[in-house]
Amino acid sequence: MNTMNLLLITRIARQELLVNIRNKWTIIFAVVFGVLIVGISYIGIVAEGFSGMQNFTRTSASMLNLVLYIVPLVSLIMGTLSFTGDRGTTELLFSQPVFRAEVLLGKVLGLFFSLTLSMVIGFVVAGGIISSVTGGEGLLQYAMFVILSLLLALVFLVVAVLIATTNNRTSRAFGISLFAWFFFVLFYDLIVLGVSLLFKGQTANIILFLSLFGNPVDMVRVASLIILDNVTIFGAAGAALLRFLGGSGLSITLLTGSLLLWIVIPLVISRRLLNKQDI
Amino acid sequence: MISVQHLTKQYGKFTAVNDVSFDVKQGEVFAFLGPNGSGKTTTLKSIVGLCLPTHGTILVNGLDVRKRPKEAKNLISYLPQRVIFPETLTASEVVRFYGSIRNISRVAADEALANAGFNGFSDKPVNEFSGGMIQRLGMTVISLPDSPILLLDEPTANLDPQGVKQFRDFILQQKAKGKTIIFSTHLLAEAEQLADRVAIFVSGKLGALESIDDLRTTFLKTGTIEDLYLHYVGSSHYEK
Repeated sequence: MNTMNLLLITRIARQELLVNIRNKWTIIFAVVFGVLIVGISYIGIVAEGFSGMQNFTRTSASMLNLVLYIVPLVSLIMGTLSFTGDRGTTELLFSQPVFRAEVLLGKVLGLFFSLTLSMVIGFVVAGGIISSVTGGEGLLQYAMFVILSLLLALVFLVVAVLIATTNNRTSRAFGISLFAWFFFVLFYDLIVLGVSLLFKGQTANIILFLSLFGNPVDMVRVASLIILDNVTIFGAAGAALLRFLGGSGLSITLLTGSLLLWIVIPLVISRRLLNKQDI
Repeated sequence: MISVQHLTKQYGKFTAVNDVSFDVKQGEVFAFLGPNGSGKTTTLKSIVGLCLPTHGTILVNGLDVRKRPKEAKNLISYLPQRVIFPETLTASEVVRFYGSIRNISRVAADEALANAGFNGFSDKPVNEFSGGMIQRLGMTVISLPDSPILLLDEPTANLDPQGVKQFRDFILQQKAKGKTIIFSTHLLAEAEQLADRVAIFVSGKLGALESIDDLRTTFLKTGTIEDLYLHYVGSSHYEK
C-alpha cells in the first residue's frame, strides 16, 4: 500500500533540477568549478616543458584537492538551501497526493543531477584539453575519478538533507552544515592523527584504518589516489588501508561500498525523521 | 466528508489545538474564524496531513489521513496561507508540474492557466508577478485537479479588493460544483457572505460551531457578525 511511485519521484526530481539549474548559485558554482578545473588542466599543459607530460592521472591528482574542498561545501549549501526553503512552496508540495519519502527522494535526485551537470561540464572541458595534448592515456582513471567526485557530492547532499530535517530553522541548519564542512574537510584528520599518537604499533594502525570510514572526504581521497596510482603520496590512513586489505581492487570496492552506506544511512534516517515531523 | 474528532496538537508545552471536533458535510462551505494563533492554520494543516496530531483522528471521506495519507490527499486541494513558487519558474511550468503530480495533461494545465486569465503571462517567471497574481496562480493550481475538497488558509490575506472579489467568485463557482470548502479568514464579511457554517476558534478551542443565521438568531438578533465574533473571542484574548 505504501509503495513509492517512481514516476512521481521522477517528476519531482525534474522540477527540482529545473529550479536548481536556473539558480544563480548553481550557475556561479558551475562557472567557478569549471574555470578552476580547466585552469588546473591548462597549467598542467603549460608545465609540460618543466616537469614532463601532465597526463590524465597527474592532472587528476592536482584536481583532487580542489574537489575535496569545494564539492562538499557546495553540496552542503545547496542541500540545506533546498530543504529549508520557503514554507509556502514546501507546504503546497507536501499537500499533494505524494508520500513524504517521494518528495525527499525526488528533491535529492533533482539536486544531485543539477550538481552533476555543474561539475561534469568542467570535467568534460578539462578532459578535452588534456586529451588534446596527451591523448587518451589515463582516460579511464579520469572517468573513475569523476565518478568518485560525484559520489562525494551525493554523500554531502544527503548529509545536508539530514541536517535540514533535524533543524527547522534555516540559520541553524546552515551553521551546522558549515561546521560539518570544517569537521570533515579540516579537523577530522587532525583529530585522528592526534588520537593515533596516543597509541603505538598495530593499535595505531587499526585506529587509522577504521578512521578512514568515518570520513567520506578521506575515503574519496584514498580511493582516487589508488585509482590514479599515486600510492606514494598516500596519507597514513591510506597506507594502513592497503596494508590491511593487501590490494587496490579490494580497497576500492570497500571504499565505494562505504561511500554508498554514507548515502543510504542518512537518507533512511532523514526519511524516518521527515515522517514524524510537521511540515 | 470531513470528520475531525478530538484533535489536539501540542508543540512542546504549548497547545495549539485543544480537543477540537467537528464534521463538514459534502458540498458545505465552512469558515474558520479566529484571531492569530487560535489554531485555524494548525487544524487546516492537520486535515491535509502537514501537521501530525498529538491526539485525535481525522477522516476524509472515511479515510484516516495518518494511515492512508496519499488517498486522503488525493481528495484535497490545499492553498497555504502564504503561497510561494520557485521564482525562476514560469506560470506554465508551475501549473504543469502540479498537474503532472495529479496525472493531468499539459494541455489541460495550459487551458486552466488560460481560463484563469494568464494569457500573455504564462511564459513569464513567477518573480515578475504581483502578490495578487501569485495568489491567482495558487488558485489555478488548486482548482486544476477538480478535487472534491478545497482547504484555503486565509486566501484573501494578500489580495487587493479586485483579488478579493475574484476569490469570492471562485468560491461561489466551486460551491456551485458541489465542492466541500473550508477556508480560514479574518474578514468577517467574507465568512458571512460565503460560508454555510462558521467555526470560531479561541485559544485553540472551538468557541462556536453553527450556521451564521443560527448564531445571529440565538445571540445577536440585531447585532452584526463583528459583535458576534467579539462575543466569543472577547477582548481578553487581545489583552493577552
